[in-house]
Amino acid sequence: MAVYKRTYTTYAGPLTPPRTRFLVLPRYCYERLFQSRFLTGFLVACFFFPLGCAGYIYLVNNLSVFTSMGVPAPEFLKIDSSFFRFLMNFQGAMAYILTALIGPSLIAPDLANNALPTYFSRPFSRTEYVIGKVSVLFILLSIITWVPGVLLFILQVSQAGGDWLSNNWFILRAVVLGQVAWILLLSLLSVALSAWVKWKVVAGALILGVFGIGAGLAGIINSILRTDYGAMIDLSRIMYTIWSDQLNIETSTGLEPFEAWLSFIAVCVICLLMLERKIRPKEIVR
Amino acid sequence: MTGFALWQRQILTIVSLEWKKTLFAKRGLWVYALAFLPALLFGINAIRVQNQRDAQMEIQRAAPNAAAVTAAIQTGMSVDDVTRKLVDDKVPFTKFKRRKKFEFVRYSDGTNTWELMFVEGKLTEKRNRDEARLSDSIRAFAGAFQYFFLRLAVFFGCVGIFMNLFRGEMLDQSLHHYLLAPVKREVLMVGKYLAGLVATIAIFCTSAALQFALMLGAHSSREVNEYLAGEGWAHLVSYLGVTALGCVGYGSIFLAAGIIMKNPLIPATGILFWEGMNWFLPTMLKQLSIIYYLQALCPVVAPLSGDIPEPLKLLATTAAPIAAPIAVMGVFAAAGMVLTFASIYVRKLEINYGAD
Repeated sequence: MAVYKRTYTTYAGPLTPPRTRFLVLPRYCYERLFQSRFLTGFLVACFFFPLGCAGYIYLVNNLSVFTSMGVPAPEFLKIDSSFFRFLMNFQGAMAYILTALIGPSLIAPDLANNALPTYFSRPFSRTEYVIGKVSVLFILLSIITWVPGVLLFILQVSQAGGDWLSNNWFILRAVVLGQVAWILLLSLLSVALSAWVKWKVVAGALILGVFGIGAGLAGIINSILRTDYGAMIDLSRIMYTIWSDQLNIETSTGLEPFEAWLSFIAVCVICLLMLERKIRPKEIVR
Repeated sequence: MTGFALWQRQILTIVSLEWKKTLFAKRGLWVYALAFLPALLFGINAIRVQNQRDAQMEIQRAAPNAAAVTAAIQTGMSVDDVTRKLVDDKVPFTKFKRRKKFEFVRYSDGTNTWELMFVEGKLTEKRNRDEARLSDSIRAFAGAFQYFFLRLAVFFGCVGIFMNLFRGEMLDQSLHHYLLAPVKREVLMVGKYLAGLVATIAIFCTSAALQFALMLGAHSSREVNEYLAGEGWAHLVSYLGVTALGCVGYGSIFLAAGIIMKNPLIPATGILFWEGMNWFLPTMLKQLSIIYYLQALCPVVAPLSGDIPEPLKLLATTAAPIAAPIAVMGVFAAAGMVLTFASIYVRKLEINYGAD
């Protein structure tokens, strides 16, 4: 039937429940993303380190070989806050690389092809669109960051017992809160940058540049103006301070934990404002 | 007109078309921001130091005994004793806490600015924070130039400008206009490269000169004249030369990347990583980077960044310094080789706008 002869009527089929409607976006995004073998391979590689950590936890908790020989177990073989901070650092870096690979293709193509009116002509709000796009990264990054962290914590508790849990329960909170904060920052930043530039390549460069140039700029602010507050624009240092504080480890990043949280909130708000400005149901025809 | 004369004329035409496009492009505004950010910081510092000097004069008038207070403050004193002493002698100060157990008191005695560090309430360290010393500013400039300006600003500026010359036109779907013109591809490439070079050298050398001027602006004219009469002008010329050479080297690499790679981000990330780890490479491998030659030409050696962890600092190796002419030739030779390699690819360049 020719298109002009078609009579348009109200859609009468089943509707996705409003609460889970935002999950439609990740569903289709994942289908497209996992067509890339490189990305799939990289995601698999992200689990190698937690697997190694699981082996290490098992080893540390089963050092009977030393005691059977009458030799005390080496001091450095222990599972504590520092171990989990190292895990968070490593997995956090992997999450960053994954974001740089996935993030640029989230919103930029929709804007470049004027696809937003198509989304918003459906019963789908701007908030749902943003949550849907952020959740693409949020779900994927959760799988490689705090989920393995929590599993390793459970493994350690199962090996070391209740005493270890009562002394180190804060590590669980730190792993979940710290990594969720990191994922939120990465997701919002990449989605906001992807919304502001039409080209995927440029969006990717921006995601890399924000961290690299931010750190460099923080360094010269500190050195030229003889201050420590330059660190407030260094995103990796902000997160490192938050993680260390949550894990009760002293650091010398030049930032107080509340300053780090303040910077974190400021970055998130700026990203949301950028999204609010750019995600509009309109089409520009030139 | 044939042969070299024709190519020369074609190159000039391409340069005259391209340099304005590159220099005044709206999408290139971020390059200006990146280039002039350090200049802005040096400007703010000049105003700050000037204000501090005025404040010191004020303290000299209001609290003539301030210098004696400094002599009276000894390590081991408590925070309360120190602050009481400062209050008694009418010396203004600021007090703040860092990392739970550290407390700091900052004050100026009219000549120097002091920072007192207290650990668990007891004075452990007395630091002179005189921020108006020219030697410190020269070192800060060297650090900002080598760690931020060369490694990040010039690097990313060249990524933005040179990759845009071919890849940007592909994305704008306008490259076919050039390819349909009766111009050899190599001539087109050289023309675009020279246009990019004109733009980047203009932007980054202006910024370097401005930074240098603003860095000196924080100091008294007597100090500045002494420095310029000594090695100051030579330093400025070196910094400008290194900036221009950075544009030559990085420009050639990113122009080639824009021609060869569909996603130029991959080589950009790889090169950034390679250049960043230059400190830790053996001498042989150091020579395969642009920053090695640029670093050798910098007049003041910046110390290793304080952010590098101590165990990594042990791995840092210093290569034997190379002569300036060899360093300059090294950059030109690298650029020449990369452009020759790119010219092979540019001959086979095919446009597939849909794929981008």
